Amino acid sequence: MTCEEFGRVLPELEGDHHNIEQEEHLKTCSFCSGLVSDLNAISAQARLLAEDQEPSPRLWNSIAIALRQEGLIRDPQASARLLGLRLGRWRLAWLKPVTIALVVGAALLLELQRIPRETPVAQQAATSVPVIGTADGVSQGSAIDADQVQLLNLVGSRAPAMRAGYESDLRAVNAYIRDAETSVRNNPNDAIAQQYLMNAYEQRAMVYEMAMNRALP
Amino acid sequence: MSMEPRETVAKLVVAVLFAGTVVATAETRKEFHFKVHRRASVSVANQFGPIWVKPSSGEEVVVTAVLHSDKVEVDHTYSLNRVSITSHLLSGADAESGRVEYQVLVPADANVTLHSATGPLRAERLHGDVILEGNTANVDVRDLVGGHVHIKTLDGPVTLTNVSDGHVEITSVGGDVALNSVNGPLVHVNSTSGRIVYDGDFGGGGEYSLMTHTGDIEATAPSYASIDVMASSTQGKVENDFPLQPTHTSLAAKAGSAFAGTMGKAASSVRLLSFSGKIHLKKR
Amino acid sequence: MTDARKSQGDRLSEAEAIERAKQGHEEAFEVLYHLHKRRVYSLCLRMTANTAAAEDLTQEAFLQLFRKIGTFRGESAFSTWLHRMAVNVVLMQLRKKGLPLVSLEETMETEEESPKKEPGAEDVRLAGSLNRLQLEQAIDDLPPGYRMVFLLHDVEGYEHNEIAEMVGCSIGNSKSQLHKARMKLRELLKTSRAEKATQP
Repeated sequence: MTCEEFGRVLPELEGDHHNIEQEEHLKTCSFCSGLVSDLNAISAQARLLAEDQEPSPRLWNSIAIALRQEGLIRDPQASARLLGLRLGRWRLAWLKPVTIALVVGAALLLELQRIPRETPVAQQAATSVPVIGTADGVSQGSAIDADQVQLLNLVGSRAPAMRAGYESDLRAVNAYIRDAETSVRNNPNDAIAQQYLMNAYEQRAMVYEMAMNRALP
Repeated sequence: MSMEPRETVAKLVVAVLFAGTVVATAETRKEFHFKVHRRASVSVANQFGPIWVKPSSGEEVVVTAVLHSDKVEVDHTYSLNRVSITSHLLSGADAESGRVEYQVLVPADANVTLHSATGPLRAERLHGDVILEGNTANVDVRDLVGGHVHIKTLDGPVTLTNVSDGHVEITSVGGDVALNSVNGPLVHVNSTSGRIVYDGDFGGGGEYSLMTHTGDIEATAPSYASIDVMASSTQGKVENDFPLQPTHTSLAAKAGSAFAGTMGKAASSVRLLSFSGKIHLKKR
Repeated sequence: MTDARKSQGDRLSEAEAIERAKQGHEEAFEVLYHLHKRRVYSLCLRMTANTAAAEDLTQEAFLQLFRKIGTFRGESAFSTWLHRMAVNVVLMQLRKKGLPLVSLEETMETEEESPKKEPGAEDVRLAGSLNRLQLEQAIDDLPPGYRMVFLLHDVEGYEHNEIAEMVGCSIGNSKSQLHKARMKLRELLKTSRAEKATQP
């Protein structure tokens, strides 16, 4: 068998399955045996590539949102009853940022055991800011709750210059959530109202996440 | 020992200490080189100071860091195709002494992640994915093609210029967002009180969603824009410069607070939504 | 835990997840996604060489899977079913864009394509010195038609009759394209090695 003849049948060969004539040629021809060895090495290395890439973590979020929009996720009523808010098919869509906020809050509680609490007077001052409403009913700033005060204290203990900025942002997103929740309550089937609420929770989750990143050592 | 030699020694010690302090607080420049391959992952976390990312000429990541004091160190990890740079603040560091200025050169197809509280953050001429996160950081992204762009900021202003063919998602609490020539399959801006300004074509058959709680939205598009647009402000005013073809929509088009319709072939979907801000769709 | 017991645990949890996904449980969808995301995404990324497009296609493949999961009866392995769906999603996308899937030329090698034996040339073998990153770079440089068949056969493990059916060519054409792809990769890898050797 010549190299030319071997080259013609090479595309038909699978792996190391050769007939006697082909085997004999490979034993005596270093060029063709080198070629076969290289092609097998390429094929073997290629098999290792099958699962080596990882998609971005946000991809699952996109898929989950689409599944909810299509009604393919039919999670139980219990979640909605527990939270006491009926939002139709969007009721689970805002659970994610709420869950994130709860997880962050749990981490915060663990961390807070090491932080000395403010004096009662100081705490009262921090929480006593009333809701600032406007004539047209849109909240311009909203009160922050005790957990958020503790988060701010934690941020303040590690990055004092940032505390005021975080407080302002929390008030703004709290106001956003208030308005969005009101809108959804008044129009439970309004997709835009539901989207506002999702956006508002996403904003608050982001503030929490960034605050924790700054606050934790 | 007599007083004089003791005083001399004391003065000498003080002088040495002072000199040491001067040296220690002087700026330090460091440079790192990392060999990488295609689609490398590069992340830089820098509490205080700017990060500027540009494309390199080869398959290499070059990091140049200027440290403002000895109260901050630059840590790095490098494995296979992933480079991670972190500014590590030492005890007593503040926004000034903990400041590091980074210039990072990466292969254009690298995926880049930047974190900084104060920034500014700047990325240009890349086509990998870009993730930028800053508190008050000024974010500036320009000339990106193909990659995803994700930006999170609390109060820092965000500016995107010439960004196309990828997903753009921006979440900002109070920072203003300016999009100049930004087109792609998905462009989402979620703001609480920041102002959103868009100047582009709304091209690419994409989904454009600009939503804010109290901020204003100003969108400028050409007369040939091909869009299916819906704009609504619950408490604010809306204005539209385009003659829209009416569409069947459940949106109750109230004069002054909502409008909806199509232009051209309605290739792209555009939503301009503000709870209480003003919305203006302008013709260029 | 041994590999056998771990894989048995995985199979059981996958089967459970499939049944719960049919009932619409979100965590079941998520389990199935995480079990198979790397394989699907790797396939999409290699076929498109673009992360944004690969993520879109991965999302579409999983959405199609979840829409049709109620029809899955276990006649084939779930991973095979999902993977075939992902390949079809990619091929449909490439067809929409009018990109060539495979060359329609017949299998005959031309003189120019045959490996040339040069007298006295040193033949340094690739085996033992080839690594994943080098191969990835070379795959990216392949013409799209060659790359498609190479990915489906050597990376994803499809047989030529399956590839022929998927991309709409003959089995002979599939074999020819695969051989040409491997030869081209060999040439690219050797050229790259030679270039590196001459660098200071």
